[in-house]
Amino acid sequence: MNRVRWAIFIVAVAMLGVGAWLALAWAPPDREMGDVQRIMYVHVPQVWMALLAATLNFGCSVAYLFKKSWKTDALAEASAEVGVLFGAVGISLGSIWGRPTWGVWWAWDPRLTTAAILLVAYAGYLALRRFVEDPERRAVWSAVTAIVAYVDVPLIWYSVQWWRSLHQVQSSPKTVDPQMTLVLRWHAFAFLGLLIFFIWSRYQIAMAARKHELAMPAELDEGARIQTSQAAR
Amino acid sequence: MQATAASALGTNRIALSATRVGLLRGLALVLTKDMLIEWRTRARLNALVIFAFGTLLIFSFALGPDTQLLQRNAGGYLWLALLFASLMALGESFRIERENSALEGLRLLPVDPRALFLGKALGNAAVLIGLAFVLVPVMVGLFGVSISLGFGPLALTLILGCLAISAPGTLYSAVASNARARDVLLPLLLFPLIIPALLAAVKATSVVLQGDPMSQLRSWFGLLVGFNLVYWGLGVALFPQVVEE
Amino acid sequence: MRLLELAGYLLEGASTAERVGAGRIVGGWEYVYAAYGITYAAIIVYTLSLWLRRRSAQQSEDFR
Repeated sequence: MNRVRWAIFIVAVAMLGVGAWLALAWAPPDREMGDVQRIMYVHVPQVWMALLAATLNFGCSVAYLFKKSWKTDALAEASAEVGVLFGAVGISLGSIWGRPTWGVWWAWDPRLTTAAILLVAYAGYLALRRFVEDPERRAVWSAVTAIVAYVDVPLIWYSVQWWRSLHQVQSSPKTVDPQMTLVLRWHAFAFLGLLIFFIWSRYQIAMAARKHELAMPAELDEGARIQTSQAAR
Repeated sequence: MQATAASALGTNRIALSATRVGLLRGLALVLTKDMLIEWRTRARLNALVIFAFGTLLIFSFALGPDTQLLQRNAGGYLWLALLFASLMALGESFRIERENSALEGLRLLPVDPRALFLGKALGNAAVLIGLAFVLVPVMVGLFGVSISLGFGPLALTLILGCLAISAPGTLYSAVASNARARDVLLPLLLFPLIIPALLAAVKATSVVLQGDPMSQLRSWFGLLVGFNLVYWGLGVALFPQVVEE
Repeated sequence: MRLLELAGYLLEGASTAERVGAGRIVGGWEYVYAAYGITYAAIIVYTLSLWLRRRSAQQSEDFR
């Protein structure tokens, strides 16, 4: 399975490499935003990946409360961390894109604002995990926190939209050009590959940490193959 | 000391009563116990009021003597002061349970954990609502606002907003009070979540204070009610998991 | 003389319009490079972080 994981990583990196050429040279500049629009090819997919990771985290959290499993908990931990990574980069890129197009670094755009709130919420989730020492309690409490945070997303979205609608509304660019759509999709798949690789690797690290904490490898074998040090190398 | 003894006393009272305590009865008992403790340790409530008042005062100084600005943003300052005070109130509500392991005592009793949540959350809400009402005249005085839409809508806004803070606050307080860095963890977890409720409460308050030319009040109330429904529901569903062993 | 001046101004105006385009933002490549640079840097740093943590996890396994 390790081979599959590394293969995904290599394909993703290769796609990113080709994607760089596609995005920076091959794709045409936007009619209104010019070359600055090229930021979209890396900004949008990373935000999508962050949302995907958050959804995976939600699924695992709910699953954990129904059936306690270290695998589910480890997957929740992994997806939260990777989600925070893509979210942070995605938001920074959104701000960088906003500077030449809107003229400001931040403009309370509903999407960026919601993303920023979520970023803080999931950073809080990661902090909670770090501050609770008992593994079982940590798993239950972080699952509860994740569920509450995720359910809040539509509430945050609507409230920020209503809040913003009293002021001006920012328009977002529409990609109509098929070349642009292609580059966007290409990058989406590349980042998806990275997402899978990152979550998978982080999951393995989390499982190893669980084993170390509980010092009872036999109990952890709920279908997960326990890798010996040789097999892991 | 008084607080933990009172908490233990309260648990004794529950133990001496029925065998299986129903939801409403459990709720009432927990609420009564907490309110009794609050009353017996009034000094803490006083400190809370003084803290909130001090916060409002500080906002006046930090944001300058421009009376127009203060008037426009009075709702925001009020809710910020309430939010900061709530951290103290929420943190306390589980600290007293942690001392002398009173929470373990509560768990051993046949009290439905959902009743425990509802009792605690309602108790916290009551404290916050009381605080909010006390702060209204302070706000009117300091920021020179008038309550354009009348006291009814203002009261409703305050009640809905305090309920909205109390539900997730109680849930997270139970989690944070047993973790390290609990003082930092509670606001870190609570603040991002509470933003929709905060937005709605502040907007509704501003509208109540300044008038509602665009009939926005309905939508903000709608958001507050929706938020409360979701979070009280989630609290009742998830709190048992949090306190279970 | 005046006709020549006029023609000169017209030509100048035409080429400027051509350059400006229809409300297009000109340049801004530094933002694009910053964006792509941050993306790649984050990926590299995180991959490294994963690799280092995995190594230390394996080492602690070996010592048990």
